[in-house]
Amino acid sequence: MAIELRLPESGVPRRWSLGRREAPRRAFHRLGRLGRIDQVGLALIVAITLLLLVVPLVAPHASLDNVGATLTPPGKGGFLLGTDEQSRDVLSRVLYGMRVTWFAAFLVIASGILIGGVVGLAAGMSGKWVDALLMRITDVFLALPGPLLALAVVSALGASLRNTLFAVMIVWWPFYARIVRGEVRSIMSRPHVEAARMGGVGRVRLATRHVLPGTIGPVLVTASLDIGALILTLAGLSFLGLGSPAPAAELGAMSARGLTYLLTKWWVPLMPALGVFLLVFVANVAGDAVRDLAEA
Amino acid sequence: MTRQLFGRLAGLLGVLAALTLAVFVIKAVLPADPVRASIGARATEAQVKAKRAELGYDKPIVVQYVTFVGDVVTLDLGDSLRTRRPVTTDIGKFLPATAELALAAAVLAGIGGVGLGIVSARGGKLASITRLAMLAFASAPTFCLALLAILLFYRRLGWLPSSGRITRSLAPPERTRFVLVDTLLAGDLKAFWDAVEHLVLPALCLAIGPAVAIGRVLRGSLLDVLRQDHTRTARSKGLSRRAVLTRHALRNALGPTLSMTGLQLGLLLSGVVVVELVFAWPGLGLYTTQAIQNADFPAVIGIVLVMGTAYVVINAIVDIAQVIADPRLQTSEAR
Repeated sequence: MAIELRLPESGVPRRWSLGRREAPRRAFHRLGRLGRIDQVGLALIVAITLLLLVVPLVAPHASLDNVGATLTPPGKGGFLLGTDEQSRDVLSRVLYGMRVTWFAAFLVIASGILIGGVVGLAAGMSGKWVDALLMRITDVFLALPGPLLALAVVSALGASLRNTLFAVMIVWWPFYARIVRGEVRSIMSRPHVEAARMGGVGRVRLATRHVLPGTIGPVLVTASLDIGALILTLAGLSFLGLGSPAPAAELGAMSARGLTYLLTKWWVPLMPALGVFLLVFVANVAGDAVRDLAEA
Repeated sequence: MTRQLFGRLAGLLGVLAALTLAVFVIKAVLPADPVRASIGARATEAQVKAKRAELGYDKPIVVQYVTFVGDVVTLDLGDSLRTRRPVTTDIGKFLPATAELALAAAVLAGIGGVGLGIVSARGGKLASITRLAMLAFASAPTFCLALLAILLFYRRLGWLPSSGRITRSLAPPERTRFVLVDTLLAGDLKAFWDAVEHLVLPALCLAIGPAVAIGRVLRGSLLDVLRQDHTRTARSKGLSRRAVLTRHALRNALGPTLSMTGLQLGLLLSGVVVVELVFAWPGLGLYTTQAIQNADFPAVIGIVLVMGTAYVVINAIVDIAQVIADPRLQTSEAR
């Protein structure tokens, strides 16, 4: 590529200009080569993240306020998605619920990458029995049904959003450990690592500067494809009553509590469920886009 | 191959041991005191101490774990705090309903998954539409599908019932607790048909997620196989696209699909809890929801053990089936 060959004018070493300044520009070029659906997906995920960040500013009402008549149908009385049995604005509650779910999902993914990354890095860099032991443990975790264990953990600790997130974090790392370990093994056998070792680079610096950066791509791709599944799991647990207790605006719980109104006031249980659908759909389309971006 | 099978079985036992360990650890970190829970808050110190000794909570943790594994193996899971019956009895009572639902869903998911995979791999307009539909269905939480299904097929069209296993007046005498089997044993075809109608919506909602996942994997591996030389040879011999797809490509592409199927059948077990809640299906899932809402911890532990074991065993069976079905796996492992 022409960009890679152009020498920087300022005399900065080439390594720097490639790593720090040209990389974003190359990514930008790749964006242009993506298909239309992928571009829309990436735009949507940015848009929805920004929207959910400013929910307190844009939501028409607070999530717990009683704002008028109970069970107003969608579109009537200025309530776009209607009101629920306690005369709260459904649109506002769904927006707040989406906000909590969305950022909770990012938090769990981040913790999964962190725990899995540490385990995978330790296994991949030490090799031998440390590798064997850590990977055995990871395999056992992978073989156990994650959502079920999370369910047991939350019901042991008591239902709250914090406990649910904690429980899901416990079961959400093994996949990342496997991926990081595989990448680390393959990077360790490359010439640049050998060169760094010959140059007397210590273990920690070798890990952080020469090995870890190479794992970022595959991990990000995996994570972006993973967000949808995670949101579905969180919503399912919340639906079963394993999330924030009663008045809190949480999508699964709102839908479950509205079940009794399904046949008469369908919007009460359905709108939060569609909120989950919207989040997962955007996450899945964007996940495919990130994968294509990495392969482009 | 025998050696390999034994290896997998040993692995299975290891994972099952890990499952009991995980559940034991969860039990151990439980903040509520199980002794107080079983005899009530007003018991005296002496009574608590006696009960503690009786239940074995004063022993070293390793001994407690061994006792726990012994209890699990002998199917003694303690009493439910809500129903006051042994958890094993409760589970035995509710399991058939769930098994019936899960089996029906598994069959639907298998057929649907293979169908979706083939259609979406063929190319053309139908394939694009199928892929979009699959993306949408993969993004919908199970409870969203269930709500939509009830609104459409029950409330709007009135085609199918929305709750329970059978119309109460038609319920057959209980023999196997599998309603479909019981109605047939009673020779009551009207009741049988009624039970089938009750089964359709929950089974469908439960099957859609796994079907899409299986379809996606099958599509991927079908496209891979179609690029290989032997399929090109088959095409150049003059076979039709359809014949190549079903006779030459499909069998080679089934390997990865099979392992995905195992994984999905396992996940189906956690979807069952949600589906049973929405459709008021009187099985393990509904029992689980009630146990959660009443903080009935012994029951939750029992369910997690039973469902967890089912998940692990299903995956092991699929794993072994794969080794038997695909000779290439045997040689690659023997190296």
